[in-house]
Amino acid sequence: MLEINNLNASIGDSHILRGLSLNVSAGEVHAIMGPNGSGKSTLAQVIAGHDDYKVSSGTVNYKGQDLLQLEPEERAREGIFLGFQYPVEIPGVNNAYLLKAAVNAKRKHQGLEEIDAFEFLKLAKEKMAVLDMDPKFLNRGVNEGFSGGEKKRNEILQMAMLEPSLAILDETDSGLDIDALRAVAEGVNALRSPDRAIVLVTHYQRLLDYVEPDFVHVLSDGRIARSGDKSLALQLEEKGYDWVREAVNG
Amino acid sequence: MKSAALSIDTLREVIARLPTKHQEDWKYTDLSSIANIGNQWLDRGAEFASGSEIPDAGTQIQQRIDADWLVVVDGVINEQSLAAMNQPGVSATLVNVSNNKLECNTPLDDLNRALLHDGLCVSVSANTETKKPVGILIIDSSDSPAGMSATRVEIDVAAGSRASFIEFHTSSGVADHYANSVVNLKLGDGSHASYVRIQDREQDHNQTGRTAVSLGRDSELNHCAFDFGGKLVRNDLNIDIAHAGAAATFNGLYLAGGQQHIDNHTRADHRVGPAKSHQEYRGILTGNAQCVWNGKAIVHEGADGTDAEQANHNLLLSAKAEIDAKPELEIYADDVKCSHGTTVGQLDETALFYLRTRGLNRHEAKQVLTRAFAQAIVSKSPIDSLHEFLTEKISGRLGSLMQGTDE
Repeated sequence: MLEINNLNASIGDSHILRGLSLNVSAGEVHAIMGPNGSGKSTLAQVIAGHDDYKVSSGTVNYKGQDLLQLEPEERAREGIFLGFQYPVEIPGVNNAYLLKAAVNAKRKHQGLEEIDAFEFLKLAKEKMAVLDMDPKFLNRGVNEGFSGGEKKRNEILQMAMLEPSLAILDETDSGLDIDALRAVAEGVNALRSPDRAIVLVTHYQRLLDYVEPDFVHVLSDGRIARSGDKSLALQLEEKGYDWVREAVNG
Repeated sequence: MKSAALSIDTLREVIARLPTKHQEDWKYTDLSSIANIGNQWLDRGAEFASGSEIPDAGTQIQQRIDADWLVVVDGVINEQSLAAMNQPGVSATLVNVSNNKLECNTPLDDLNRALLHDGLCVSVSANTETKKPVGILIIDSSDSPAGMSATRVEIDVAAGSRASFIEFHTSSGVADHYANSVVNLKLGDGSHASYVRIQDREQDHNQTGRTAVSLGRDSELNHCAFDFGGKLVRNDLNIDIAHAGAAATFNGLYLAGGQQHIDNHTRADHRVGPAKSHQEYRGILTGNAQCVWNGKAIVHEGADGTDAEQANHNLLLSAKAEIDAKPELEIYADDVKCSHGTTVGQLDETALFYLRTRGLNRHEAKQVLTRAFAQAIVSKSPIDSLHEFLTEKISGRLGSLMQGTDE
């Protein structure tokens, strides 16, 4: 589904991704771990299409297309979802309005009819129940005055409504208490399916207790230093990131 | 065909006295185009438009917005609309001004007086609650040639009453036109007024309007102003607080594009405390639009316990649009709480990107964020039954203002 080959990317004068390669297939859950500054969030932003990140070389292929040629909204409509590390507060834009606009942008792209108000509300309430979210969040401004946990649940709600082919969740677990972490994990697990891929970008192993990954990759200095199964995450937890750095440099 | 209330010579003299850009309060707003319209009109004999029938643009507003409408067409008060006012405790009368002289007030007030055909007086008797808003529809049908018109409204809300008002300015026709309005609003002790002013004139029409409010003890004003149309527009809102416990909230929104010039000057005189005046104006500018916001609060000696807040936020969607924003605080008392904040900026790129990752294209994302910026003022507007109209109006106006603003 996603093939990244020798990707180099920078923001401003900082060269962050240095020859990163990664293959993700449908049905798989990948965890990308690594210390701060290793390039985890940059990878997520480049896949979503943020203008500030410049790709100097390498390729990203998504479902047989050159992903780097697509605008962010085209990527979204083609089934890529980025769960933000810091979801943006947008006062005055109704949460339900954005959810519906997002769902309809994708449906229109797929040549489907727009979802009607009744159907939309029913679906949104179902998904919110899984996430243990109060339906009144639908009528609030997007993330406006939400707590950290509420923002992350809201991201997962958007993901659940959009049913992406490829979901990248950037530090979705950071700043969550145990109840919120469980709710978010439940939302992610509910979306696991043979035709969908999920990439979890995380600093800690904690989330992986609830969402079991098929593959774990450790990022160091802008490329993947080590890949393995879920036991790699446990090793990291035990030995710390220095262990990977030493293994690479040594 | 009616004629000017005062002689052509008087009119010519008043027009010659209009303020110039050398005066501090008029630094950014040039009235010479209005003087030109006036002089051309005088040269042609100073004929007023007929003012007999309510133009279609006016009846559409009456049908769309639920209110008891008093209608002023081309400066002439529609007497049928006066007769139709049947709310208990509300009276609307025509004031004959033919024997009045110039008050030698400000030149624009004098011009109002010189142009005035007849005045409108609205009274709400004590302890009355209006059942639906009292609407004042001011419409000019300047088809040809260029012309001038004036409206004067005296509103008296007696003690203990709760009243709501909609002042709607609109126009039809393509010729240059200048309209001058003066509104004096008097709030009795313990009364409460909700007041929404909407200006939606044709793009070639000009307007100056001055609203003066005096607040009684423990009275409350909630005022909200929306400017959508017009070529050169200047609004003065003067709030006079001479009685303790008064509270004035006045907010506004201006949307301007093309060559539009919209100037909002507010002034709050705090003569006693405790009392409060809070205002927030927002503007969205595209094209070559030039807007002015000048918010002045004067806390006079002894007005302790004054709480004055001013905010002005602007979204500039083109490189050539210009905003001159100026908060002014003059404080001569000790125990006061005053604050002001002004921002001028573009749309938040992080929010734009966030919306795009949810499938909205750049243009849609910009529209969504811009509407949300404007909607903050709609939600502060005190007459709920107007919200749907305002939301649609803003959405439509922004749609046309933002055409071609994508880089």
